Amino acid sequence: MTMRLVSAELVETRQILPGQWIQSFHAPELAAGSRAGQFVHVRTGDYSGLVLRRPFSINTADPATGIVTLHFRTVGRGTEWLTRAREGDRLDMLGPLGRPFEVDPRSRHLLLIAGGMGMAGIRMLADEAVQGGRQIVILFGAQRASHVYPSSLLPDEVEYVVATDDGSLGHHGFVTELVPGYEAWADQAFACGPHAMLKRLAALAAGRRDRLGVAKLGRKKGGGRQDPMGSTAARRKAFLQVSMEQTMGCAVGACLGCTVIGVDGPLRVCREGPVFAAEEIAWESIA
Amino acid sequence: MKARKRVVTSADVRAGAKAAKPARGADKPKRTPTVRTIRSAIVAVDRSARSGSGRPRVETGRTAVADRGTPLAARPTLAEREALDRIDLSVELAPQRGLRLPNPIMVASGTFGYGVEYGEVVDVQRLGAICCKGTTLRPRAGNPPPRVTETPGGMLNSIGLQNPGVDAVIEKYGPVWQGWKVPVIVNVAGESIEDYVEVVRRLDGVPGVAGIELNISCPNVGKGGLQFAIDRDAARAVTAAVRRATDLPLLVKLSPNVADVRPIARAIEEAGADAITAINTLSGLAVSADRTRAFLGNTYGGLSGPAIKPVALRIVYEVAQVVSIPIVGIGGVTSLADVLDFMACGAVAVQVGTAIFADPELPVRLGDELRAECLRRGLSSYAPLVGTALPKRAGAPSVKGAEYRP
Repeated sequence: MTMRLVSAELVETRQILPGQWIQSFHAPELAAGSRAGQFVHVRTGDYSGLVLRRPFSINTADPATGIVTLHFRTVGRGTEWLTRAREGDRLDMLGPLGRPFEVDPRSRHLLLIAGGMGMAGIRMLADEAVQGGRQIVILFGAQRASHVYPSSLLPDEVEYVVATDDGSLGHHGFVTELVPGYEAWADQAFACGPHAMLKRLAALAAGRRDRLGVAKLGRKKGGGRQDPMGSTAARRKAFLQVSMEQTMGCAVGACLGCTVIGVDGPLRVCREGPVFAAEEIAWESIA
Repeated sequence: MKARKRVVTSADVRAGAKAAKPARGADKPKRTPTVRTIRSAIVAVDRSARSGSGRPRVETGRTAVADRGTPLAARPTLAEREALDRIDLSVELAPQRGLRLPNPIMVASGTFGYGVEYGEVVDVQRLGAICCKGTTLRPRAGNPPPRVTETPGGMLNSIGLQNPGVDAVIEKYGPVWQGWKVPVIVNVAGESIEDYVEVVRRLDGVPGVAGIELNISCPNVGKGGLQFAIDRDAARAVTAAVRRATDLPLLVKLSPNVADVRPIARAIEEAGADAITAINTLSGLAVSADRTRAFLGNTYGGLSGPAIKPVALRIVYEVAQVVSIPIVGIGGVTSLADVLDFMACGAVAVQVGTAIFADPELPVRLGDELRAECLRRGLSSYAPLVGTALPKRAGAPSVKGAEYRP
């Protein structure tokens, strides 16, 4: 679906964790036309002196009920304004925006990796994968137990593995330390979270073939032909796809504000992303 | 159920504007020749004479964006619509070379890409003009991220003139622009006078390029950019060089990052610019969340949005008193009241920038609202609204001790 301006009616707000909220909106156009990995650009109240919209990953979308949900943390005036919105309020949303995750049709085992609020970036992919009959493991990292995304909000079919920085729940350490245990099982991996986490995952993914001794299979004839970097076909073949975050202006590709550095030059998170194949990003540019 | 989303209608405009501003259209005080020249930029053409090849008016299915979702009773009647259509919003920005805009609401460079990005949600054909992203001779990768951040009542950006270079722009977007009725003005930036001249030379004669806006005031590039806007002689030199290279309508965009903008504006006028755009962003800075460094990858950024509107008004006000070429006002326009403020200070057209990010439909809607405002005041064009706040005699300068004496 092409992007459009949608008037979305807030139907439910709930605080799922301290400072973290899930809001449900009735927006049938968005619910029917969105894919996992895409986002919406939400306008906050004009009267509060906020001049920019706020981008949010589409957390879930249910075409049957026309409900889309957004999952966010209160970090500033925009998100605080959102938490004060009441049922029945209509919010101006621009979406769906950006390019979605591309799952190879042959992939049976999907590894989803989320750090903190990164859960909002991959949550919808879990729904899509369950519907597609795929097996899913979600690796989730948080600072401490009180920040861990409730398993009750995930589909039953998902295997959910948690790591906390302070060891208060699950693995004691970073979520990236769990990944080697799953890299042989996974056909593809999809990640969203802090850039440092994505950088570590990209490094792991780059060495995966060698560690596993995977032979480069494929047709001999025409085997030299490669899909252009950044194309849907190339991303579908990538082992690791990452959903990147950047401060954003227009969200339609006009202002060039939300770039990350790619191997071939700047990439707009809002247009070429927010999902990228790990190979597209110049990870050395990310601190 | 709660009330519907508030949508501005012509009725709201009437009520709001009446409360905000006492009608002042009737008594016209005498103006200085300067102001009269500015007003003459707005050409009032007899409607019958226009019908054939007149101002480009594009009828689409979305003619009344402002009416979406409003109750039928609040929509203009057929008679009102006819009266609205009779109002002439066209404006000539380059009287000697011909740059007629269908209406005075333009979109600002850097906020609207190349006009195609917002195409799915905005009817670009109803805009007054599009100023495209700053274009340089060679491709530029721009500044390191992060490049934008919100600030109170505004935003900072430091894109750093990322663009694919003039040849790629012409090849990719020229054919698209050629098919549009909305004039596209190419914003040109460079590091040297030779760069500017070469870019303009390549744009000269390209179908679909209606004019040039010289960006001599970008605060976000290390070399070049700003240096031309803060020095009177450099501004004169670059404007004159570009003027010699092309007959395209030429706008020059001023920087607010100077002590006194008037000598620079005068120099630009003398060097042959057709119009002046005022203003570019103000240089600013934001601090990272942990307060260990500047937030933006480029350290400094350009401040835009409602926060800079008073500065922009001041500069338009000052420039309008010293030049006789048309002035395009820009800086924090978010409503019809802002448009009217800029016009009162002497701008014959305005550009909308940052506000587009929150409300992509705003520029088109402002055109509709300006039309409704003219109808409410019984005007056939908005010319009488221009320059009404300017002093009858030359006003006091905002900068003491930097008075410009020609």
